[in-house]
Amino acid sequence: MAKQLAFYVDINKCSGCKACQIACKDRSNLPVGVRWRKVFQYEGGEWVDQNGQMIPSSVYTYSVSSACMHCKKPICMDVCPTSAISKRNDGIVLINADMCIGCRYCSWACPYGAPQFNEELNVMTKCDMCQDLVDKGERPACVESCPYRAMDFGPLDEIREKYGTFADPAPLPDPAITEPAVVYKPNKITKSSRSGDGRLMNLEEL
Amino acid sequence: MDTREWALLAFTILGQTAAGLMIVLMIVRAYLARAGGDLADRLTNRPLFLVVPLMALALLASLFHLGSPLNIARAVPNIGYSWLSREVVIAVAFVIFAALYTYLQWRKVGSESLRTAIGWITALLALAYIYAMGMVYMIATQPAWNTLATPVTFIVGSLLIGSLGMAAALVMGHAGLKKTETPIVNNVLQGLAISAIVLLGIEFVVLPLYLAYLATQGGAALQSLNMMIGLYGFVFFLRLLTLFVGAGVLAAYLYRNAAVADKEQTLATLAYSAFALALIGEAMGRFIFYATHYRIGL
Amino acid sequence: MTQNNFLTKALNDTVMTRRSFLKWSAAIGGTAALAGGVDYGLKAIEGAAAAGEEQTLTVGCYHNCGGRCILATKVKDGTLLRIVPDPTPVEEETPESPRAIPCLRGRAQIRRVYAPDRLKYPLKRVGKRGEGKFERISWEEALDTIASEMKRIKDTYGNEAFYFNYAWGVTWNGPDGSSIIQRMLSMFGGYVGYYGTYSEAAYGVAMPYITGGYVGNSADDIVNSKLVLLLGDNSLVTRAGGDNGGYWYMKAAEQGTKFIVVDPIMTETVAATQAEWIPINPGTDVALIAAMAYVMVKENLYDKEFMATHTAGFDENTLPEGAPRNSSYMAYIMGKGYDKVEKTPEWAAVITGIPAERIANLAREIASIKPCAIIQCWGPQRRAYGEQFVRAVPILAAMTGNFGIPGGNTGQLPGGGYCPMGGIPVPPNPVQVSIPCFMWPDFVTRGTDMTVEKDYIRGASTGWSATAGDTTTAQENKNLRLKSNMKFMWNHGGNCIINQHADVNYTRKVLEDDSKLEMIVTVEVGMTPSTMYSDIILPGTTGFEVDNIITGEGHGIKGNHAWAMYNHKVIEPMFEAKDDVWIAEQLADRLGFGEDFRDGHLTRDDWMKDMVAGAQSSLPDFPSLEEFKEKGIYKTKGGKPFVGFEAFRADPVANPLGTATGKIEIYSPVLANLKNEEIPPIPTYIPEWEGVSDPLREKYPLMMMTTHWVARSHSTFENVDILREAHPQCIWINTLDAEARGVKNGDMVKVYNDRGVVHIPAYVTNRIRPGTTNIPQGAHYTPNADGVDTRGCGNTLTNYRPTPMAKGFTAHTNLVQVEKL
Repeated sequence: MAKQLAFYVDINKCSGCKACQIACKDRSNLPVGVRWRKVFQYEGGEWVDQNGQMIPSSVYTYSVSSACMHCKKPICMDVCPTSAISKRNDGIVLINADMCIGCRYCSWACPYGAPQFNEELNVMTKCDMCQDLVDKGERPACVESCPYRAMDFGPLDEIREKYGTFADPAPLPDPAITEPAVVYKPNKITKSSRSGDGRLMNLEEL
Repeated sequence: MDTREWALLAFTILGQTAAGLMIVLMIVRAYLARAGGDLADRLTNRPLFLVVPLMALALLASLFHLGSPLNIARAVPNIGYSWLSREVVIAVAFVIFAALYTYLQWRKVGSESLRTAIGWITALLALAYIYAMGMVYMIATQPAWNTLATPVTFIVGSLLIGSLGMAAALVMGHAGLKKTETPIVNNVLQGLAISAIVLLGIEFVVLPLYLAYLATQGGAALQSLNMMIGLYGFVFFLRLLTLFVGAGVLAAYLYRNAAVADKEQTLATLAYSAFALALIGEAMGRFIFYATHYRIGL
Repeated sequence: MTQNNFLTKALNDTVMTRRSFLKWSAAIGGTAALAGGVDYGLKAIEGAAAAGEEQTLTVGCYHNCGGRCILATKVKDGTLLRIVPDPTPVEEETPESPRAIPCLRGRAQIRRVYAPDRLKYPLKRVGKRGEGKFERISWEEALDTIASEMKRIKDTYGNEAFYFNYAWGVTWNGPDGSSIIQRMLSMFGGYVGYYGTYSEAAYGVAMPYITGGYVGNSADDIVNSKLVLLLGDNSLVTRAGGDNGGYWYMKAAEQGTKFIVVDPIMTETVAATQAEWIPINPGTDVALIAAMAYVMVKENLYDKEFMATHTAGFDENTLPEGAPRNSSYMAYIMGKGYDKVEKTPEWAAVITGIPAERIANLAREIASIKPCAIIQCWGPQRRAYGEQFVRAVPILAAMTGNFGIPGGNTGQLPGGGYCPMGGIPVPPNPVQVSIPCFMWPDFVTRGTDMTVEKDYIRGASTGWSATAGDTTTAQENKNLRLKSNMKFMWNHGGNCIINQHADVNYTRKVLEDDSKLEMIVTVEVGMTPSTMYSDIILPGTTGFEVDNIITGEGHGIKGNHAWAMYNHKVIEPMFEAKDDVWIAEQLADRLGFGEDFRDGHLTRDDWMKDMVAGAQSSLPDFPSLEEFKEKGIYKTKGGKPFVGFEAFRADPVANPLGTATGKIEIYSPVLANLKNEEIPPIPTYIPEWEGVSDPLREKYPLMMMTTHWVARSHSTFENVDILREAHPQCIWINTLDAEARGVKNGDMVKVYNDRGVVHIPAYVTNRIRPGTTNIPQGAHYTPNADGVDTRGCGNTLTNYRPTPMAKGFTAHTNLVQVEKL
């Protein structure tokens, strides 16, 4: 069996610009409303009165770029009533549009919001890790797109060897649920999914 | 809630009504059968004829939920693991058996015992269908759904609507009864009223436990709870009130009036209102169910 | 039907629908209804796979973000498939010459080319101006009409009635900034040009009065800094991709350089460089700088020797001749200047909102950590007294000894290498007068009354001449006057007629009276609020539809390397779109000087050969046009980072600056001569109108800025649906201000002042100072029947009140109130 492929994102280098999302939509011709890659903006802290002056108290923000995690335990696949969702040998989780009945069960289940309904095609769609490019030996469009080189991709074990194993930045869910094939490099302010410290800011990504 | 979730609301409530009617109908028949004659047929055929059309409407509504309903046959092979597949397959089986049973009852084809057997099979399928319907929502990442309360309330709700629906059907047939039959039917009415009150009691026991569970789970469960008692707090309250008045207060009056002779008009008013309120209450409950679920994660 | 035909038909259908609804709101509704309209591209792409070869061709991304990036596009059968980043092989990437990977805007280019609102054919206005009623006409009719109107207006009012408006959207600028339309207008007898920019007017005009020029260390030098102090710089958004400023900032941050950012907003740059954020009240940076200088003086932390030998007017000893006593910067900060106020951190704390202790510590930090790059960007100078900020920042660079050293900076924006290319020859403009670009509505309403002394009209200018700080030169010719008000405007891919100019509701009034400005010709690729106010609209080409040459510098904020690229024509012009050369030639023919205009240039290639020849004269290895076309990209190897004013630092006598005294002129004798309280000889804190201390805040308590936005380059790309989806327009408001108004994140709010009303969703965040709001500029003005802008165009609320010296846009100085809708 081929090695499980995985995405890597360095939160240190992410400005939240969403070039990755746009590159994805450009490559896959996604309509408005379908975002295979999302960038979540997370914010915390508050403003406090210090001797009559308002000052920020631990105000912070960071962004988390996230797509389908091509999980080791893909819950979307578990709930699909038609076996339209499958996992390739290299771990890429795919939706077969011909078999999808569009029941949205997978979108109810996936904690990353990865499967999304395409109103024009009437089926669920999601990130396919640019399998056509990957099969040609190229890198996924999002990885290639980052002006700050914050992204990488490759076999999960190699990615982990290079970058560590952290996969738990808030506002993403606890990785124990689906065992996502992803690694994030946290920056000094990154919170974990359980911290409950900040809040998701860019509601358009929900 | 979007169109697709409204479609689900219609599908589940219609389906529950049909299934609940079918189950209660068979129980009532069993009781009436002891009185002999054609009383059972006269009183229960009318609601029986509603089961298939209700299911047809339910399935039609479900199509509005699906993006590509033409692929639905692809769901059949996965009954081994998918509750949604099971729901689809059992629903279809239920409709087929209900249609068969309706036909046999209508045309009086086959022996009484054969028909009864098929009727009971249909009722069991109805029960399985509602159970599967509830189990569909047992998704690990949906804490507001992923509790025992979901299948329990689906079944209880179904039986509640079925009981009061059956009561309404019985009072509809009241006028044509022979003198000797009236007390029997009124006994049945009393039984249905009591069962409605008991089912309501179960709902009222499950609900606080459920809310308490959500409150202790934190995260997405707590978000759901906050939405239930916050944004949809009024609907939530109204639903409880409707159910309480319909399945509680009116059912109690139904019970009391069924014991007194010559109260047909009162009984009719009570039974119809109780049924209507129960149906509305369950529909509001389902609205909240779909409107307040929060998935873990994003 | 071939795929091309299919595409054309699909576009015809969609744009036809649009055309019948060419009204403000309907036009926007049309876009919304066509949200799936991008899908024609999709279908065409899917279907195109059947035949033909897939090609990858280089196309430049050249908009007015200030950066330049290298795109390549996959194209098959004349249809764009998808964008790929700079195709330079990763192995060939060096630290000195990185690949220019485009930002999200560049990645969305295909949706701009195939946008549902692409203009398809020439249109002429049929209703009242601004009403949005247009009729399709032929190119023939359009060009004939323009030519005959040009002749009529020239005969009636003379060439001084013609104006070439500030614009950056679609022009086929030569790589040197020259424009073929200007060539045509010059040969027609001339036109009134403009000077300055909407972006950096105060910077361009005021900077020469302190450092004599526009010179910063190259952006790649920032990796040599230990500390970087950014004032109002959000390069990660403004120049978000490529090898532009943002890239180098991130490089430095990655290496461990510490960033401190002074900004009312915790910007993307603050977040991504993991900077320390110093949230300042907008418009008060000069007070902060004065207090920091005060601390350095009090604590003896500044480079006394450098200040004595390299600066003029820092203290009484270095004041230029003739300057009065106590007019030095030292006198000002120590309480001996005109206002007799000591510029203590406590004094500044009240104004800036930054605790006094933090101000003092910041002064100590920048004085002690070396090298430290002190960088100003252009946001803080697009304010009421922007010139003061521009001239104040270099003082910090000088005092801390970071002026002219590697890893330091001059207090200006970083610079970078450039690729010298030839351009389009534009003959001298026979009309010897130009206006500050921001003042064009005055040219319409009272042009003949505009003066040198009040309005700073100047001698001829061919366009963007940012370094021409010749306010004083102009003063010498006090009798300069315009002979006519503006009667004809050529708006070449510009949205400054309505959208990007201040106070939209006022501008509308000026334009709606078409007896004043009689004809507006706009060349555009899509409908904009400005085309709505035009009389003739000509459909132009995007960069994907013409051959061109692009160089890497843009605003020049990059490493000390250079590149040029061949911008391939990858698809045929959409519909009846025509490129600028053709348009200019056709008009030149009709105006009777076609042959002179062409001057032997028969094809577009001929013009480009001139550009290449220009490059070859200084870069011997620059390829021929043919080779260049084949290769696509030319990159220089890149060298050591450039250090601004290094020679001056080494020997200020032998290498004087271009100021009157040859030194860093903290006191400018030239400005002193202006005797204008709003243009003092030393940079001082002048409390702003509609600023932090304006009593008007009782009525309109919130300050409002209109910053750049990551989803747009100004208003370009606003029509791209997926960019609007990715970054929806909103007003940033602090959590406390929002709570006081019952506003939650995502709620619709009404933002208003005496000039206008905007309805817009609120972005409730702690990343902006309380009392401050921000509506990112560039959203397309879309009024409803009540005149309320519904799409969030900040200029509905801004002020047509220029800066004192540069007459620049004061886009960020506004007061508003916000209410929940």
